[in-house]
This record gives sequence, structure tokens and C-alpha cells, in this order.
Amino acid sequence: MALEYIFNLDGTDHGVSIAARNPELVLTVDGVAHQVRESSALNDECALLTVDGRSYQVWRTWESNRIHLRIGNRSFSIGYEDAITAAQHHAGGDDTLRADMPGVVVGINAKVGASVVTGDVLIVIESMKMQINIVAPRDGTVEAVYVDINQTFDKGAQLISLHAES
Amino acid sequence: MFDSILIANRGEIACRVIRTARNLGLRAIAVYHHEDRHAPHVALADVAVELTADVPTAGYLDISQLLDIAQAQGAQCIHPGYGFLSENARFAEAVEKAGLAFVGPQSEVIRLMGDKIHSREFAVRAGVPVSPSVTQDGDLEVFVEQAAKIGFPLLIKAAAGGGGKGMSIVRSIDELAARARTAMGEAERYFADGRVYAERYIERPRHIEVQVMGDGQGKVVHLYERECSVQRRFQKIIEESPAPDLAADLRDRICTAAVELAASANYRNAGTVEFILAPDGEFYFLEMNTRLQVEHPVTEMVCGVDLVEAQLRVAAGLGLPWTQEQIRQRGHAIECRICCEEPEHDFRPATGVAQLLRVPEGEGVRFDGGIRQGQAITAAFDSMIGKLVCYGANRAAAIDGIVRALDEFVLLGVSNNIDYLGAVLRHPVFRAGHLHTGFVVEHAADLVAPALDETDRAALLIAAALGVRDFRRLVYDTPEPYASIGAWRN
Repeated sequence: MALEYIFNLDGTDHGVSIAARNPELVLTVDGVAHQVRESSALNDECALLTVDGRSYQVWRTWESNRIHLRIGNRSFSIGYEDAITAAQHHAGGDDTLRADMPGVVVGINAKVGASVVTGDVLIVIESMKMQINIVAPRDGTVEAVYVDINQTFDKGAQLISLHAES
Repeated sequence: MFDSILIANRGEIACRVIRTARNLGLRAIAVYHHEDRHAPHVALADVAVELTADVPTAGYLDISQLLDIAQAQGAQCIHPGYGFLSENARFAEAVEKAGLAFVGPQSEVIRLMGDKIHSREFAVRAGVPVSPSVTQDGDLEVFVEQAAKIGFPLLIKAAAGGGGKGMSIVRSIDELAARARTAMGEAERYFADGRVYAERYIERPRHIEVQVMGDGQGKVVHLYERECSVQRRFQKIIEESPAPDLAADLRDRICTAAVELAASANYRNAGTVEFILAPDGEFYFLEMNTRLQVEHPVTEMVCGVDLVEAQLRVAAGLGLPWTQEQIRQRGHAIECRICCEEPEHDFRPATGVAQLLRVPEGEGVRFDGGIRQGQAITAAFDSMIGKLVCYGANRAAAIDGIVRALDEFVLLGVSNNIDYLGAVLRHPVFRAGHLHTGFVVEHAADLVAPALDETDRAALLIAAALGVRDFRRLVYDTPEPYASIGAWRN
């Protein structure tokens, strides 16, 4: 029962594992044991959770590797990665510039094959009513431009990539 | 009264207008872009017609397409909501030229009030207080020289602007020229009109606005004031009526000034006259919004009226539904704008899917929403997905009610400001009613979510773990006492 599941809360990893199931459920969080009771789910998405005698109403939903919860009248989004996804995630290079936030493309200066130097403005995006320059993080050659002018994009979308450094 | 209406908008305001239209027996015709095909306003209307446009917002801005749909569907009037074409004089003109009623003011009034410089000049002529200002109309050096004479700090704004675009606070002459140039550039880009003006920037001002309603025949009434001082990035997030601690005679003077301005313009429709209230009790005209305002529900709750119904009556030529004497402000109402954004990252907009949505209920609670569970929140539209409003017998009761309602509000799957709004409303200075437009910046440190104690953090991580199917199986993959709840989501 020592199998530990890793959850990421605000950039910090935490391990949760099962210490005992009988006669009472005991789970450890970062090595500390807690008495747990989960009962009388109000419906599919809502459960009542008691941890060390303190009670919480928990609303919960999830997508791929995130769990979204509302607990104690606060909402949280917690990352969860199994070993395989974690490995894939960290294998990617950093030659692709991604959007920090959703927005719309208002200017494209970069052309595929063009040489750029650190600080060159490659793309101009508009988000939160501000224009933001996406600049070259290093010297290199533009490999691909993934967006068109006036195109909207979501957070995390690929904008542009540079050829991998030789 | 009309028997049919086209709503040239989307989201919560389209739903809001459709509901009143249907109350009055009108056939409601909605329009939608493909991206909105599953949105609630489409399902709520009697008829919904798809707009063709590559960029989603462009559909809702396409005048000729909207008019074609209105005529093909036999709409007698068009309600523009807010945003999009609501303050577009050409649209108002085109609607009337097509033989339909525009649920809004006369096009020339839209044009007048839409120009910040002309509307200020108009306000001066109407005897409404306006703060000292200068306009840039060509020579930047002359502008800088004249602006400096007003004294610092100064606020630079776009003549055609709104929503904080092209706006900047200048604290010394050294930065004036550069800031003016930036503002002109932004104004040109956003509004295709590079004119800007500078006015005295009032420190710790309150934003007080007055709801007015005119019949276009010379009659104008006011429905009292709203306090909209709690803003982030120059945009309102919490509004209330009445304004806390506003002396009765000052309230009367502000409301009277608003009526005088609207009456001078022979105003037709619902409108809002916005003022800046200085700490010394002086107030200055800011601008007039010639449309239904996002925060109109607080006025509806304290005055017991339906402003959309009044708009429709006036547009149909039936006149104002009330005299000034019949309008009473009772109790207190507060509205929170629910936005998909990240308050902890300077309120940048967030996208995602509203995977779980549970809207609060209870006495005095009203939610004007425009999304449904499972709907994607994309970057294509505004980040505001609805408004939570709460009525109480007094301000304290309204705050208690809306805090409780925010606690009850479940919106999971996309970052939002629900908990942030709760932190603002719980803040002792907010409760005390000491508001100014810099409130959220001044109290930023107090509005950050507090760190969890050890038990709460453990409970959160345990709750998360119990949401992971494999972990759940390990925990409950055993007979009694866990088997009874073992089927949860597996």
C-alpha cells in the first residue's frame, strides 16, 4: 500500500498514499497520516469528506491530468500526472513559443526560414486589451509559424517555433 | 407593443432580453455564430439564425447580415444589448431606415455621446459639472503645454474610447509627451480615431452613475444611482445601489444633473450618466452610455422595475411606464461580474470548459447567466460569463447574501474570479463602504487567497486523490464498509 500518487498544487508536488483501509481509512499526505471518511455523496459531483474530524463539502470534476475541486468554498485546480505522461512532458524541447494566455494575433513579423536574433519581435498578440510582443528567446532560424493574423488562440497554444539549435 | 424582436447580441444579455421579450409575448429571434451554436441564448429564443463570419465577433457586428435576418424573420424591432453594435450610430440609422424600431436612442444622440470630447462640451452647455481638460487636435507640443497647465496628475483618454483603452495616468511633465503619443497610437488602433484629451486626475475618486430613462419626447426620469467604484483594469467588477454613505442632498444633485443632461439631448431609451465623485464632494461628468448597462439589475432590484420592458415600451412609442414620483429606491442590491480570468495573474483571461456549473439560489439571489455546463469558454468573446446579483433589506444583508451565494457558486474547469469577489466583499473596508476606484489595488495584499493550514491542505489533496480513478479503486476495492460508495464515478 505504499504506492504514492503525486499531485501538483501551485507548483509543488505532494504525495498521497494509503496507510490503512480498515477499520478506518488512513491516508498519508507527504508522509503525515490523516483519518479520512468520505460519506453521503449528495450527487455525482458532490461528496462530504471528513479529514481528522474536520468536514468539507467537495465538488469535483476532472480532465485528462487535472482535477478541479471546490472545497471549503474555494476552487482549486490540481495537476496529476502518471509516470508515462510525466516522462513525455519533460522530453519536449523549448524551441516552441507558446501563448501564456488566450488572445488574438494582431501582427506577424516572422517568416519561415528567416534568421532572428534574441529580442526580435516575432509576433504581436493582443490579450487583456494590451498588445504583447512575442520575442525571440535566442538567436536562430524560424522553423514554423502556427498562427495567422486575427486568429484567436487559447492558453498554451503553439505560436511559433525556431529550428533546434545545432 | 411589438410582436417580435431580434436580439443582436449573445451571452447573458441576450438571455436577459429574450426573457423579458417572452414575458411580454414577443417572438424572440436570436442570432449566433457557429461557435455559439450550443449557447443558452440560442435555446432560449423562439427562433435562432446562424450568422456567417470567419471571426466570431464579426458576425455580431455585421450590420447588413443582421438586418437581412431581421427582415426575413419579420422582426419589428432590434435590441442591441450592450457592447457590439449597441452604441453604433450607423447601426441605429440602418435599423430605422430598414423600417424597424431600434431599441435605443436616436442615432444623433449615440453619435454625440459616443464622442468623449463633444459629449463633454455638450455637458458644459447643459450646466453639468465637467472637470478641467484639454483636447489634443493636431499639435502635440501645444497639447502638452496646455495639459501641463491643468496640473498633475493627469488622466489621458481616447476621445472615441471606452473600457480603459487608450487611457493612462500621467504624474509629471517628463512623461506627458510620451504617454500622450502612446495613447494616441492606441486610440488610433482601437477606435480609428487618434484624438485624445487630458483631464485632471482625481485621486481616490468614486465612480457614481445614474440610471436614466427618456421617452424621446422630452420626458426623462432617473432611477437613482449605482456605485461602481470597485474596478480592476479600469473595468467594473462589483456594482451596487444605493451608493454607500452618499448624503441625500448630494445624491439629489447628482441625479438631477443626470436628468438635465439627458433631457437636454431629448434622450430616448435607457441610459447611464457616469460621474466621478471626488473625496471633497465635487462631482464631474465622465460620459454617458447610451444603452442598457451591464449592471442594470441592481437598479431593477432596488426600484422594482424591468428596464428592458421599459426600453421596449419606449421604443414602441408607448411612453415611460412610470413618473419620477412613482420610482422608489428600496433596500440594497449588489452585483458581481463573474469572469473567467486569473485574479492571481493580473486578471488575465482564462479559457477552458465549464465542466461543472452549479448556480446559487435562495432569497434575493438573481443570476443573469449566459453559459451552460459543458460549454467552452474561448478567447473569441468577452471573459464575463454572467452576473450574480443579491438583494437585501440593507447593505449588510445584501453583502451577507451575496457572500453566501458566491460560496455556493460552483464553476469548475475554467479559472474564474468567484473566490476573489468573495474576498473583496468580505474585506472590512468594503463592508464599511469606504470605496474608491483604486480599492482593489490598494488592498491587493489582503485579497490574495490565504495559505491553507495543514489539515485543509491535506483535505484538498485527499479530495483530489479520491477523484483519481485508480487511487479510488485501491481505496475502495474491498468489501464493507466501503463497497456502498465504491461506485462513485467509476
